[in-house]
Amino acid sequence: MRNLVRVFKNKLPQVLIIFLLLIVQAYCDLALPSYTANIVDIGIQNADINYIMDVGFLMLIMVAISVFATIGVSFFSSRVSSGYAKDLRKVVYAKVLKFSNHELNKISRSSLITRSTNDINQLQNVLVMMLMMLFFAPILGIGSIIKAFEIGGGLSWIILVTFLVVLSLLAIITIRVLPYFKLTQEIIDKMNKTAREILIGIPVIKAFVRQDYEKDKFCKINKEFLDVNLYVFRKIFILMPTMTLFLNLMIVLILYFGAYDAIAGNILTGDIIAFTQYSTQVVSSFIMLGGVMIILPRFLVSARRVAEVLNMELSITDGELTSINDNPTIEFKNVSYSYPGSEKETLKDINFKLVPGKTTAIIGGTGSGKSTILNLIPRLQDVTSGEILIDNENIKNFKLKTLRDKISFTPQDAILFQGTVKSNMKSGKSDADDEEIKNALKLAQVDFVDDIDDEVSQGGSNFSGGQKQRLSIARAIIGPHDFYLFDDCFSALDMNTEAVIKSNLDKIAENSSVLFVSQRISTIKDADEIIVLDNGKIIDKGSHDDLINRCEVYSEIASSQMEESLCLQ
Amino acid sequence: MPPMRRKPPEKAVDNKKAIKNILFLLKDYKLKLIITFICALISTVFSIIAPFLIGMATTTIFDGINAMNAHTGTIDFNKLFFLLGVVVVLYIVSAVFSYLQSWFLIDISTNISFNLRNRIMDKITQLSMEDVGENKRGDILSRITNDVDSLQTGITQSFIQLMTAVITIVGVVFMMLYINVWMTLAALILIPIAFILITLITKYSQVYFLKQLAYKGSLNAQIEETFAGHDIIRTFNQEEIEMEQFESDNENWFKHEWKSQFFSSFNGPLMNFISNLAYVAIAVLGAIFVIQKTIAVGDILAFFQYIKNFTQPIQQITRVMNLVQTAMAASERIFEFLELDSEKNPSDVKIQHLNEEITFENVSFGYGEGERIINDLSFEVKKGDKIAIIGETGAGKTTIVKLLMRFYDVDCGEIKIDGVNINDYDKHSVRSLMGMVLQDSWLFSDTIANNIRYGNLNATDDEVIDAAKRVHADDFIRQLPDGYETVLNEDSDNISHGQKQLLTIARTILTDKEILILDEATSSVDTRTEKLIQEAMDKLMEDRTSFIIAHRLSTIRNADKIIVIENGEIIEQGNHEELLNQKGYYYRTLNSQKKSA
Repeated sequence: MRNLVRVFKNKLPQVLIIFLLLIVQAYCDLALPSYTANIVDIGIQNADINYIMDVGFLMLIMVAISVFATIGVSFFSSRVSSGYAKDLRKVVYAKVLKFSNHELNKISRSSLITRSTNDINQLQNVLVMMLMMLFFAPILGIGSIIKAFEIGGGLSWIILVTFLVVLSLLAIITIRVLPYFKLTQEIIDKMNKTAREILIGIPVIKAFVRQDYEKDKFCKINKEFLDVNLYVFRKIFILMPTMTLFLNLMIVLILYFGAYDAIAGNILTGDIIAFTQYSTQVVSSFIMLGGVMIILPRFLVSARRVAEVLNMELSITDGELTSINDNPTIEFKNVSYSYPGSEKETLKDINFKLVPGKTTAIIGGTGSGKSTILNLIPRLQDVTSGEILIDNENIKNFKLKTLRDKISFTPQDAILFQGTVKSNMKSGKSDADDEEIKNALKLAQVDFVDDIDDEVSQGGSNFSGGQKQRLSIARAIIGPHDFYLFDDCFSALDMNTEAVIKSNLDKIAENSSVLFVSQRISTIKDADEIIVLDNGKIIDKGSHDDLINRCEVYSEIASSQMEESLCLQ
Repeated sequence: MPPMRRKPPEKAVDNKKAIKNILFLLKDYKLKLIITFICALISTVFSIIAPFLIGMATTTIFDGINAMNAHTGTIDFNKLFFLLGVVVVLYIVSAVFSYLQSWFLIDISTNISFNLRNRIMDKITQLSMEDVGENKRGDILSRITNDVDSLQTGITQSFIQLMTAVITIVGVVFMMLYINVWMTLAALILIPIAFILITLITKYSQVYFLKQLAYKGSLNAQIEETFAGHDIIRTFNQEEIEMEQFESDNENWFKHEWKSQFFSSFNGPLMNFISNLAYVAIAVLGAIFVIQKTIAVGDILAFFQYIKNFTQPIQQITRVMNLVQTAMAASERIFEFLELDSEKNPSDVKIQHLNEEITFENVSFGYGEGERIINDLSFEVKKGDKIAIIGETGAGKTTIVKLLMRFYDVDCGEIKIDGVNINDYDKHSVRSLMGMVLQDSWLFSDTIANNIRYGNLNATDDEVIDAAKRVHADDFIRQLPDGYETVLNEDSDNISHGQKQLLTIARTILTDKEILILDEATSSVDTRTEKLIQEAMDKLMEDRTSFIIAHRLSTIRNADKIIVIENGEIIEQGNHEELLNQKGYYYRTLNSQKKSA
């Protein structure tokens, strides 16, 4: 939470102004009833119309000041809350950009998106309310108490009694209802889970003709939800009528006891009128405060979620070295990796070398750890033990920027950004000119783009899977790099296209190291060295022809792919 | 949480239809609604009369003091007690009826949402496959929870508040007019002006609102993209460029956003101003009238209360209007979903058995318009045969079995069982004829026993265990901490993929269906489990008519008929020997692969 407060610091002067303006507003609003008392007690008593007009004029002045103060409050609280949201968004965004895969595993990407959009919006909305109400309610309440005491000290106990009654009512209901709020949330989760499960399982449900069975299951939870809702709402809705009732009864008491005070000569009629108004104000401002308190838990949830992002410790630190030789060698030395909190090692004791001019391929089933190896090279995540060396220097010693400049990385999901084909290509190499871009597109078999200024919609949704893969390959080959890492990114291409792209790639990466990761034998067959990965361990290395004969896992993978299964018999 | 997609520009809500829908929902609650209305009426009317009596009580005190000062009498305590007593009774009755009103409304609204949720779920199970596709899940879920919820809040809150607001306004004006016409005019003359001002300001703020909405959209889109493409941005060193762009968008959003917020928060100050002005007008004018003996002192107090009771509902109405808008939008989304066409199932003739054969006659099908997945497909399957369907990914193998299951209806051609078009039978009875094991082995987050029992809800524990034994799943199940009572978690990742597949096979064994549809595993299941799965499937297929989407040679070779699919068309069919002798695609693929190996 400290991080959230720090971002707020520069808003404090404006908050102070808001505070002062609220005091002005409260002062002016609260002056009105006592003027009324004067009108009644002096003006009417003496039938002095001039006096009444004079007081009326003073009241108008107060009203005018009050309206300017309120507008000022609106102005500043809008600026403060919007500004705070803006600053917070910036800090969160900058922080997330620094995240590595370690942090991304702790908070999922979709949750990060919600946190930096919805949660911050939520904070902003509550902040506006707080600035206007949370401050104003106590100011108004305390001001009213002072005024009430000034006028009719002898009647003040009535306010206290009402206040206590209302408070205990609030407390009782809150205590009764609070546990049910949690229950409601649990039921909602359960209902969501069931509904989701049914949606996903539709084919099975239809195949087994179990529609009624599933509907009954859902209906049961729905009924639970109905019952809890009824209970909670019936309790909560007691509040409003009873609170109004107590407020009104308070006025009755004031009139009753005020009449005795008036006989004793302690109070005038106008003052009784003013007193009723002040006492109403006291109690209702505390009710207002209670209203703000209700939204506070929601505020805290969002605040915690945002703070969690800001408090996240970054696990990957930058190195010092700023230069790497051309065409270096990368070596994995006894590298192991396990996900934080997981006992199972995703990678165990991995040793291999990437040599310039050679193509290396990694094959293995899903979950064998192939992609993890790839992610370790640009330090998207760091090894748990062992080391990765570039020309015998640990990659952790290089500046991240230096390291990553050497690397071209194509992840499994072909990710494109909103903009143009050109802007997407430029994210591979910022200073690429049109010729370079067109050339890269050609080499990656992008034959479906007429103009490099063609639009790319969000997530590249205006392209098919295969087209996106080709564009993302084009982006990867645009600048000269020393390492080309391809993570299973040929899967949506037909054999022919794949072959052409790969032969083009051989030319581009003549002096570089290339690393393919795939599940498809056809993609990796021609690699200089094939690494067979099973359950995080390297079980064999060699060429296709070696492996197919001696490596059982390799031939099993091959046989599960139909073409190969036919060839094996 | 599903990733948030950028929303398409909000559609204008068809108000008339939305209101019609909401009224339709309320139709069943006519009596309760009438009771609610009567409660609201009683509660409000009583609370409106009370301030008038309080005013009279004040006047009594004022007159009493004047009389005391003139030494002609004192406060008439009998009258005061009587008035205050009546007031207390009025307020208590009002409170009771106000609560009763909420009670009934809660009852109505929660029941409406209960029914709506059930109806949506009902719809989900009836819709065709494409309407509940993967990309629509998040949307449907949000309709069940969020939309139904906002509709419920809309109905409860807006009904309570609108009802009382309207009754209060009418009642208060009546009471004020009863006391004094001129003061009423003075108090209310500002209201229309306030409304005009609010409309003007809203119009003005709308400009900023729309602008900030556009910037918000583009900023949110950038956040989404950046976080999704995090790997790319880091490896290509694009952080600074992304940050620059973000900051400029962020700044732009802020510039318009705070203004939009400022103008939209104008209503509060404005209403405060108006009620303050009215207050002054009543105090001054009231005092003059008292001097002129047109009204009593207490009437001023009564007026103060009324003016407060008057501005409150007006503020409420503006607030409620927002709620109503959301509720209407929600109801539109809900009804849009409920009005989707259900799967057609015109026939109620139930098919009992497969006697002779299943035939596909010139079947064509495409998921979308103009797109052909299956093209003029014909073949026949005799009872008891094993059919292997082979072909590359995307050739249309799965589509064929989905058509047989009637998950989709053919575009042209016919699928017949014993010479009768399957469309002439009740859909559910056709499905009941078949058992299905798909690669994507979907299980419930329930116990393992219940998951197996899903195939036959009446199966005894022994039958469940027997089914598990037959697929060699019994061993691993017993090794789990809770055995058959182990609850699979939501993504069922507490057992392996292969084990899940064994369970789905056990489930299908328990159903004991005449026709089987199997999708062989290609995914990376470890070899031991894969063997078990294979054996289990072989056992399952004994004496049954089976369709297998086949990948392994042993299955293909032993099939009674092999169908080779390419681009949705059958290019060859026959058994292993026949196809080899045909020296066509099958033979060529086999041979060319042999050579290259």
